[in-house]
Amino acid sequence: MSHEHDHPHEHDHHHVGAPTELPAALDTTIPDEELSPAEMSRRSMLRRSGLLGAGLAAGSVLAGAGAGTAAADSGAGRGSDHGPRGGFRWLAGDHHIHTRYSSDAMYRVVDHVQHANAYGLDWMVITDHGSVQHAKIGVEKVNPDIVAARAAIRGTLVFQGLEWNIPAAEHGTVFVHPGRNEVAVLKDFENAFDGVVTATTDSTAANEAVAIAGVNWLADAVRRRRVEDALFLANHPARKGIDSPHEIRGWRDAQPTIAVGFEGAPGHQAAGIPAPKGPGSGRGFYDFSPTAQSFARYPLESYRTWGGFDWMTATVGGLWDSLLAEGKPWWITANSDSHMIWGDDSVRGPNSDFAANGFYNEPVHGTQGAILTNGDFWPGYYSRTHVGAESFGYGAVMDGIRAGRVWVDHGRLLSGLDVRARVAGSGQSGVPLGGALRVRAGSTVELSITISTASLPNWAQVLPALARVDVIQGAVTGPVADRDAFSTPDTRVVSSYDVTGRTGTFRLTYRLPDVDRPVYLRLRGTDGNRSAPGLLGAAVDPHGPAMDVLGDADPWGDLWFYTNPIWVLPHR
Amino acid sequence: MSALVLGIDAGSATAREAEHLLAEVRTLLDLGGGAVCCTHLVRDHARPHVAVSVAAAGLSTAAFAVLPAGYGAALGAYRVGPPDLAAAAAVAADEHGTRRSGRAVYYPGAAGLTGVRTVGEVLAGSAIERVAVLGGAPPAPDTVLDTRDFVRPQWQDGRLTLVATPAPAGRIAPFEVPNPTPCCADHAI
Repeated sequence: MSHEHDHPHEHDHHHVGAPTELPAALDTTIPDEELSPAEMSRRSMLRRSGLLGAGLAAGSVLAGAGAGTAAADSGAGRGSDHGPRGGFRWLAGDHHIHTRYSSDAMYRVVDHVQHANAYGLDWMVITDHGSVQHAKIGVEKVNPDIVAARAAIRGTLVFQGLEWNIPAAEHGTVFVHPGRNEVAVLKDFENAFDGVVTATTDSTAANEAVAIAGVNWLADAVRRRRVEDALFLANHPARKGIDSPHEIRGWRDAQPTIAVGFEGAPGHQAAGIPAPKGPGSGRGFYDFSPTAQSFARYPLESYRTWGGFDWMTATVGGLWDSLLAEGKPWWITANSDSHMIWGDDSVRGPNSDFAANGFYNEPVHGTQGAILTNGDFWPGYYSRTHVGAESFGYGAVMDGIRAGRVWVDHGRLLSGLDVRARVAGSGQSGVPLGGALRVRAGSTVELSITISTASLPNWAQVLPALARVDVIQGAVTGPVADRDAFSTPDTRVVSSYDVTGRTGTFRLTYRLPDVDRPVYLRLRGTDGNRSAPGLLGAAVDPHGPAMDVLGDADPWGDLWFYTNPIWVLPHR
Repeated sequence: MSALVLGIDAGSATAREAEHLLAEVRTLLDLGGGAVCCTHLVRDHARPHVAVSVAAAGLSTAAFAVLPAGYGAALGAYRVGPPDLAAAAAVAADEHGTRRSGRAVYYPGAAGLTGVRTVGEVLAGSAIERVAVLGGAPPAPDTVLDTRDFVRPQWQDGRLTLVATPAPAGRIAPFEVPNPTPCCADHAI
């Protein structure tokens, strides 16, 4: 939208010797004052996202105060321990949704957007599968549908993305900021790096390198301002055991401001509803076993969900914690993966020919009654990713995700959550989720947790009752020697609050005295209906989620929320 | 204990392909119900695939002669076929022979493991030596196993072990399901 400024600035600065290939916003030899407002806005985004200057190479909260890491600075106030002025708008969303441009889905874009809006989502990402047809047809044809939906349904932001078949690995959401190149960038990316389009799905070292090249390409597209912003989040990471720990670390370390996280909870949450009233499969359609493509060291339990969450996230001290213990940002989300809705009666339009056309004809009202073998919910109906955004807008949502100001819940377990870390008694507003609180060694830190319980029934007529909130604390121990590590020894549940019967808005405070080493804190809570000792033992997690039973998983009777972490970093 | 184990690697891409290979090998070698036939994941970073192994009385290198050209095979110190496949076949044979790993497709009593069986019946009526429950309480002899007509125990720590998980109606069922969700990963239409 600011293209009118591109050329003048590039030309203007030829004479001062600036590299001509660099847009002015990226050229740090050009002072802020010389930039146009659009260029300045652009530069600010790059700074916030860590794509400009020191933050580019950092990607770690251990890089030291003032190093401009994404985690430390985003939203937490530049170079300070103070929280942002004013609050955030917590925008609920979903970054994983399929339409009739996916070979295994069926709905129009506007079908999803209408439902998402009705179910309270503020933002959503359309992510049709990467495929030969999609690269050729769907990625372009879906765009006018998205543009029309943006205009028709004002209250919900609709991003265009795609579901990347990550070479050598699982699927992932790739999405971009709207703009004149949103289609071109996605299409070029898909043609060059999609695992199916380029026949690079096998778990080989060569294909793993293609995935890294893809992440780098996205970062380059942002840096060269072909597109205003782009993000990549890995989807259903443990489902088939093919996202090995070193691949996840590889994506993250290649471009820590582009590859920012994975699904803490997969979609398809209706898939475990018992047959014949439901698909009778695994929650999330997690019903796989190890294959030759899978990472050999993953245990069998990684192939199932736990309280609806992916094993990588649900295991306290497990893979996600081993990533956080490195002191590097990696965030979780929760999405619908909506393809076909449980209990819906609509069917694909007659005379559809996906192979030839790249889409199914518009869905029609079916005549056979509710289809109970479908395993999905509409976006917003069950899974929500809550993003703390500085405003209601595309860029602000992407910034919030990148900053890790994100918590997730199922079945509207909570109506609101605010978490802040601050020096005890300081009166600071505090650092929000995803942030890093830098304190003098020996300080006492308090984690202030303000919870608003559900005040209305959810979409299954259940008024969720929060029963327990757990504080999980982990030591930040720096880079791992084993890039395939998927556990960390010093993360555990350090405090549990029985909040049974508490309603309305209330505050819990966890105190961390005498901070003498870097740690992170994250939260988890549950309705308390299903629990089991954690996979790494009751001493690590006395009341963790239980493994979901294939063919017997009522998603509404086992609700959890998870937050992203806040780091606490002492200095002398 | 250790019957001779023949390892075979035809470069099967999936466990399903490897099971077809085992069916073919059983015919070629005229194996009876006493044989234990396993699949083995070969996590080769250049070409991940699946090998197989066969433990049966009376196996000899004569078996090499009936295998199609292009298969790798190993029996004891003997090898035949493409060296990389033969090497993977040898690993599979060794894993099976030492009972460290291998997923059994054919084994004594397998044909009877259909419908619903108690754990006691499984242990008494088949080569399965142990039933372990993941994500639930250890099974009792009268715990009911819903076999789904698909029971693939694995060699673990020297014992042929069926890993099961809780299933609807208080039963347990094998961890491995016969027909995992057709995956959206296969969009190479």
